[in-house]
Amino acid sequence: MALSTTVSQRKMIRRKAPRGFLKRIFKRQKPHLRLETSSDLLVHLNCLLFVHRLAEESRINACGSKCGVIKKEHVLAAAKVILKKSRG
Amino acid sequence: MAYNFSPDSEPTTRTLLRQVLDTAVPRTPRRARSTRSGAQRDLLETPSSRRQRSQTKMTARRRSHTATSVDRLARVQASGHLEEQTPRTLLKNIILTAPESSIVMPEAVVKLVPSPQVVQPSRRKSSRGSLELQLPELEPPTTLAPGLLAPGRRKQRLRLSEFQQGMDWGHLSQEPRENADASSLTSSLNLTFAMPLQPQSVKRPGLARRPPTRRVVDVGTFLQDLRDTSLTVAPPGESHRTPVATVPMDTVLEDTQPFSQPLAGHSPSVHHSLPCPSPSGAKEVEGAASRRTRSSGHGLQNSYSGPGKPAQLLARKMEEVEAIAMGLPNTSSVSGEDGIEPLQNGVGEEAEESMEESMSVREVEKAAEEQGSARAEEPEGHTEVAAAAGSLGAIEAKEPEGSSEDEDTSGRLASPELPPSTPEFLRTRRLQFPEPAPPPSTAVLPSELPKHLSARIPPRPRIPGSRPRQDPYKAGLNHYAKLFSFYAKMPMEKKAEEMVEKCLDKYFQHLCNDLEVFAAHAGRKTVRPEDLELLLRRQGLVTDQVSLHVLVERHLPLEYRQLLIPCAFSGNSVFPSQ
Repeated sequence: MALSTTVSQRKMIRRKAPRGFLKRIFKRQKPHLRLETSSDLLVHLNCLLFVHRLAEESRINACGSKCGVIKKEHVLAAAKVILKKSRG
Repeated sequence: MAYNFSPDSEPTTRTLLRQVLDTAVPRTPRRARSTRSGAQRDLLETPSSRRQRSQTKMTARRRSHTATSVDRLARVQASGHLEEQTPRTLLKNIILTAPESSIVMPEAVVKLVPSPQVVQPSRRKSSRGSLELQLPELEPPTTLAPGLLAPGRRKQRLRLSEFQQGMDWGHLSQEPRENADASSLTSSLNLTFAMPLQPQSVKRPGLARRPPTRRVVDVGTFLQDLRDTSLTVAPPGESHRTPVATVPMDTVLEDTQPFSQPLAGHSPSVHHSLPCPSPSGAKEVEGAASRRTRSSGHGLQNSYSGPGKPAQLLARKMEEVEAIAMGLPNTSSVSGEDGIEPLQNGVGEEAEESMEESMSVREVEKAAEEQGSARAEEPEGHTEVAAAAGSLGAIEAKEPEGSSEDEDTSGRLASPELPPSTPEFLRTRRLQFPEPAPPPSTAVLPSELPKHLSARIPPRPRIPGSRPRQDPYKAGLNHYAKLFSFYAKMPMEKKAEEMVEKCLDKYFQHLCNDLEVFAAHAGRKTVRPEDLELLLRRQGLVTDQVSLHVLVERHLPLEYRQLLIPCAFSGNSVFPSQ
């Protein structure tokens, strides 16, 4: 598996999905359920999108308060909104 | 061939050149060429006139006359071997090679010098003439230097000759000989080059290639001495440490960070920041603290009063241990730690290594008389403390100090005489686990390093039993936290990242619940991709306009895409099969 597709940045962002980690989490939460192999990747996709939205919202909050650094309060406020959105 | 022979009876540039070439011993190809050209000329011309240098004075007059003739002659002669047969070029070559000859055979050089000068173009003639005139008179070729330097070619020749001379100057043995020869008419040209260089002969000329001698050995021996002294001092220090672990925490407050309010009451005098924001295991903390106390104790000592009493040292160490133990949990939530942490992390290794040195250095200093210098530095430390104490702004002060400290610590190894107290003080401030391995065994340091770093970066659970769940869990969350910082494209605080991890935790719980509901709704016990698609649709990520495959293509790498999106292959097969 490719670690990163076309990341031309200073720090290497792993594009690899932590499949074992996701499976372990699911098992811990719902031991009576099973997670299929492909859905594992979709869970990872879901996480990516969640984090993406969270980051966007946090960035908006930080820029809204004219702060150059993302602070805890920004993240908290963003999380409230995004978690509600991704409740499903 | 038709040559415009100037009257042979008079010393012409040509004849002079011929003389020079004949007398010069061919050493370089250029020389050979020049000699060949000279020989050619001899063959071509009547070697009737063999002018002596005494006649050089007349050349000044002749130059103007013979310049053109010589040039023409040179051009005529250029048919042969050399690409450049003009007297000018020949003389140039001679001049270039002149210094070499001058060093070894001053007479030849002397002869060479005047002739090349004579034939030079009009621009240089004036200088040359002066040169020639000066040759027999040994006048200081002061005029030569500017005249030589003015023309570009001259510069090149000068440089070359200087280079040659510089190379030769490396052989000091030859220099006295050269100087002795220079006393005589060691060619005005050479003199011109030599004059500025002769005074420098004793010193290293500008073109010297010899590397400067460095006292590397001194540092090594010094370090060894430090280690030896530290080794001798280490055992007693350790023995004292353990029994004093029960010092009340109040005395520890000196080491606490300014923003750790409960403990900050005592901090002002000595502001030793304990930048351990992340809560560490108690064991590790104390272990690190115990290790830290040595250095911090030393630093404290130096910062306070300088008198290196072991008892005081140890007392400080104990205090620091407690302070660190207390400070760690309290400072976890202090703002600004984030800034310190990376600096600390970066400096950690350096600090640790340098701490060892500093520790040993401190020991040595106490034994020695350097307390005076330590006291001199104490005021610095005190000022720093005063400035930083009791203010959140101290954090920023620490960071530049930390950066300067990095240089200090790194420089310490090189220069053992660095002010010990100040960098120690700074180091203790940083105290980010200055695992100064009191038994300055370097072997201990590496073992401590990974422990410290690993303990510091991911927040470790207090209960060892729950560690297996925490660590991989945290590792996975860290993965997404990093993605968060990547997506945000903005600097983030460490607390914000912790917040992100908490949000992710909550999110995973929601996710699992939803998937369970969906699977149960479909009457299944396994979660399938359809459930996930439904989840994405409900979240609003997948719409009629944006399909799941689009999202997959956008965000997942190729390998995953191939697994998720059915694609038709040859042979009427689809992968993944539906």
